[in-house]
Amino acid sequence: MSIELTDIRAGYGGFMLDQVTATIKAGELTALIGPNGCGKSTLLKTIARQLPLSAGTVRISGRDTAREPTKAIARQVAVLPQHPVVPPGISVGQLVGYGRAPHQNLFGVRSRTDQEKIEAALEAVAIADLRDRMVSELSGGQRQRAFLAMCVAQDTPYVLLDEPTSFLDIKYQYEVLELTETLHAAGKTIVAVLHDIGHAARFATNLVVMKDGRLYATGTPNQILTPELVEQVYGLRTRVYADPVTGSKMVSPVPNMQPSLGHETARTMCVGLD
Amino acid sequence: MTRRARITLPSLVLLLTLAFVWSLSVGAVKIPASVIINTLFDLDGDQQRFIINRSRLPRSLLAVLTGGAMALSGVIVQALLRNALASPKIIGINSGAALAVLLGTSLAPDLALAWLPLVALLGGTLAAGTIYGLSALRPMSPERLILVGIAVGLVCDAGVDFIMVTASTFEISAPLVWLTGSLWARGWQHLSAVWPFLSLLSALCLCLFFRLDLMRLGTSQATALGVNVRLERFVLLAIATLLASISVSVVGVIGFVGLMAPHIARQLVGGRHGVLLPTAMLIGALLVVLADATGRVLVPPLEISAGILTALFGAPFFVFILLTSRMETRE
Repeated sequence: MSIELTDIRAGYGGFMLDQVTATIKAGELTALIGPNGCGKSTLLKTIARQLPLSAGTVRISGRDTAREPTKAIARQVAVLPQHPVVPPGISVGQLVGYGRAPHQNLFGVRSRTDQEKIEAALEAVAIADLRDRMVSELSGGQRQRAFLAMCVAQDTPYVLLDEPTSFLDIKYQYEVLELTETLHAAGKTIVAVLHDIGHAARFATNLVVMKDGRLYATGTPNQILTPELVEQVYGLRTRVYADPVTGSKMVSPVPNMQPSLGHETARTMCVGLD
Repeated sequence: MTRRARITLPSLVLLLTLAFVWSLSVGAVKIPASVIINTLFDLDGDQQRFIINRSRLPRSLLAVLTGGAMALSGVIVQALLRNALASPKIIGINSGAALAVLLGTSLAPDLALAWLPLVALLGGTLAAGTIYGLSALRPMSPERLILVGIAVGLVCDAGVDFIMVTASTFEISAPLVWLTGSLWARGWQHLSAVWPFLSLLSALCLCLFFRLDLMRLGTSQATALGVNVRLERFVLLAIATLLASISVSVVGVIGFVGLMAPHIARQLVGGRHGVLLPTAMLIGALLVVLADATGRVLVPPLEISAGILTALFGAPFFVFILLTSRMETRE
């Protein structure tokens, strides 16, 4: 029970994932991190079979996804895309109901189990009171929870989240991350692309660090999150210290020492600040 | 089914029935509704019976079938392209059919009018096939399909313009009337040629409501929910193409129905295709029946093409609906 990636090559036009080999163990909450364009979203989409593989294999629970029907994979893996499409004129309850599609026939006829799973998902994500509201009328945070509830209703052992906190206020970011943690505690294997290292350090049990389409490091946040790693991967000098309350690693940039900015640019910024 | 849908659907059926009877009644010769009912069920023999049975009944039935088909085609295209402006026109059907008809009549002036439908069907499906084929060269996205559709449509339109400018008035007057979308002189032979296909395809489309629900969530989400997107998109687009092309082939380009009917239906009953499809179908049928009947009433014994009237009356109504309802324009 794990996700095994072997010599994967994939990607859009110019950019390719390059010979990525990794194992994402079952039961972990894995965060995929790395700078913009490093391939972390591409890797997630490749696992979800939303991008075709040029080479290599993805095995989920030992089964090669390239040989499985889409519907069989959908019973194993639920995905929250980075920009979910909000269909017009659809209520929250209806949206969450679509999560049952992999367990239904062509016509979406609901069984008693389907009904129960939908109710449970609405409760788990605490949006039962919003079930008759139109998804398009929800706030960003509510909308994200509705799509998360759809993933929960899908009732899969694996859940993939592509930047689930982007465009959310800090309160909703933590709401979504805590929900993710709850799902993890309930036994699901979770892989999330996160752009915030702090979030990754705080919530993930396992980190997969990527740079330039390659796997750079893997391990627990406490093992691998060091100033050296952050500088090598993100090109930013930082201090890394433990949160006084939670004990998780925190990353804070060293002031005025960003090596990525040229001398001229830095000076211009200072002038601008005067 | 929601309460709104339970009210909307029967109301639309009733409205369509009334419009249908009205459509049988009006024209160069006015026939009272009582006579119509008498004729339909009792078969009195006289001039009215002849008009109704020979002319107005088949053309009104044709209006119902093609209006419904164009609306269903519009729902499919809008669900797949996730774009409010999408309609069968976007996948090239109107322009392709028009070009094919004009090419056919200018290359072979002796071509019998009876062949126009086949030529149009060929042109419409060819244009749609070209657009699909070109878009499928790279991983398909709705945006690319729309842009390729517009490009191919423009090329066809340029061809239409070229033929219209260079041909003599006499040569193209008949296809021109056909192009504006009219049910004039359509009879049982047209109805019998298309009804098996249109009713079968419409029924098939109504059955695929849940697939459209899932496709409407976008390629990524649909895949994640177990939909074989490439296969289902191809099947659905093929159904949409055939529904619209067959309709265009018998009644010409009745613009706007494929765009308007789905939008009006979505405002009335929401976005679930289980109710959206039948509602849009009824609205499409209603629009074309009303346009055709109105076209016969305005300046009898002349007729105004249904295509002109759907645009003339439909557009303001459409804008009214969009302005007065809480339209969801955001994706």
